[in-house]
Amino acid sequence: MSHSKGTVVLGVAASDAHAVANHLIAYSLRAAGYDVVNLGTCTPVSEFAAAVQERPETLAVIIGSLNGHVHEDLRDLREAAIECPVIVGGNLSVGSQKDASALDRLYALGVDHILSQPDQLPPLLARIAAERAIEAVPVAVAAS
Amino acid sequence: MTLPPHADSIAYVRSLGKPTAADVLRRSRENGKVAVQPRCGVGGHDEMLALLRDLEAEAEPDILTITIDSHTRLKRFDNALRSLNLNPADLNGYPLVTHGWQRGRELNSSVRAPIEIRHGSPDARILFDVSVASGITSFEGGGISYNLPYSKAVPLAESLAAWRDVDAVAGELARDGLVIDRELFGTLTAVLVPPSISLAIGVLEAISAAQQGVRCISISYPQSGHLFQDVAALRAIPRLAARYLPAEVEVFGVLHEFMGVFPKGKRNAEELIFYGAMAARLGGAAKIITKTYHEAYGIPTTQANVDGMRLAAVANSRLLDFVSIDTSRVDEELDWILEEVGEIIEPVLAESNLDSAIIGAFDAGRLDIPFSASKYARSDIIPRREPGGAIRYHSAGALPLSRQTLRRNRNRLELSTPDDLAVLMSGLNDDINYFLRLFGEEAPTT
Repeated sequence: MSHSKGTVVLGVAASDAHAVANHLIAYSLRAAGYDVVNLGTCTPVSEFAAAVQERPETLAVIIGSLNGHVHEDLRDLREAAIECPVIVGGNLSVGSQKDASALDRLYALGVDHILSQPDQLPPLLARIAAERAIEAVPVAVAAS
Repeated sequence: MTLPPHADSIAYVRSLGKPTAADVLRRSRENGKVAVQPRCGVGGHDEMLALLRDLEAEAEPDILTITIDSHTRLKRFDNALRSLNLNPADLNGYPLVTHGWQRGRELNSSVRAPIEIRHGSPDARILFDVSVASGITSFEGGGISYNLPYSKAVPLAESLAAWRDVDAVAGELARDGLVIDRELFGTLTAVLVPPSISLAIGVLEAISAAQQGVRCISISYPQSGHLFQDVAALRAIPRLAARYLPAEVEVFGVLHEFMGVFPKGKRNAEELIFYGAMAARLGGAAKIITKTYHEAYGIPTTQANVDGMRLAAVANSRLLDFVSIDTSRVDEELDWILEEVGEIIEPVLAESNLDSAIIGAFDAGRLDIPFSASKYARSDIIPRREPGGAIRYHSAGALPLSRQTLRRNRNRLELSTPDDLAVLMSGLNDDINYFLRLFGEEAPTT
């Protein structure tokens, strides 16, 4: 699609089978003009990495996690060396008390952005796309 | 373990001296009494035997269930065997293939009611063979409905072909004189499934089964919780059968009591169970599959299961003959459902090969289900509840619905806010937790 705002790879963490939020985010990002590659529920890190490798133009990987096992599920994230930014959102620690160290440990695993609300996603993607466009300008000039 | 020939299994079923599932469904339609069936399945053989006997002794269900464990559903028979050897309580159902057909027959001979096998296998051929050898006369599932809600990456071509084989065997048995009831799993993902999606997929699976010679088909539908919509959906089933299926195929409507987020309070849960049973009665369902007041917490105790069945059976009482329903509201919903199902399935039926038409339509989103577990459905459908509770299409994705149908669905939702993701998510959350809010167990978020 020529009017696409870009490709995003979406999925739910490996141990997590929550499909509803995943499908809603896919729906709303498609409506907002993104090409969404939705890998769905129970997606291991290796599958996210393979999807990005197949689509080098990918703007970002978006991983949802609602079951409290995100740290375990993303253990191999740094090894997977995903080129584009990795965004994580959902319920990111077990229990109702959210502690900041849970987020620090996610950044340490190689997560670039952590979102607590789904409506933070469109502005973040727009910012990533804008940064990507700026990076791409010199290349485009050189090519022309 | 070699399975006995079909002739032996047919003779065994005759020797049991009890009705088949098809006999029960026929009788319940003739008498206008909804047959009652529980959900039940545990790993160990002795435990399963005791469970079936206890449920029968206490609640006298018309049909009993053996729910199969997840390993067996995915043909991981070694895993099932290991769990069975080490700790059968770890299994979330009865591993029939692993226990074998002799034990299946032992279960079957131990109860008066016919038994249905319920599972969730994209490829159930081995399980079906063992089920037939066990003399079990009802088997749930279909190439769409037992794939998309359960498996992430099984191509539809594979599950449709596997279920075509199952249906061909059922067809063979029917020709030899043993009619196996083939129930289709209209509940799908169990989350806000629009009635016309449930029924459209049920009808497509029913046509496929009939092509293979199946003679008894149960089309199941999940209670939405909106009485007019539920009664209309059940009343739509015989009309759809008359329109799309050969006359020699018997078709029965089945209601699955509410499959979504169940209220926690015991009395609230019981009210919802009874409400479902009344919908089944008014809709003319041949059978209802029951829930319990333990639904919100997990697997029910035997007592809760018994109580759920007894409560559902109360709705069959002749004392309730005075209860009627506003026919004009039901007929309005019925017209909409029949129209929507026609718009969804007729383009598929216009193609020459049903399987490839179904596969192509799912790929293009012309057939779709909400919140699919499988990547082989697009799940571009977003359902919502209208203010009165009925389930409508907020977004119909690429379903070939007419402009009039789409406009009606949008209008019924009375949406005043734009398609903002946060609004949509919290609204959908409220719709999913509809009964929690209705019973005051949870405050609305919007």
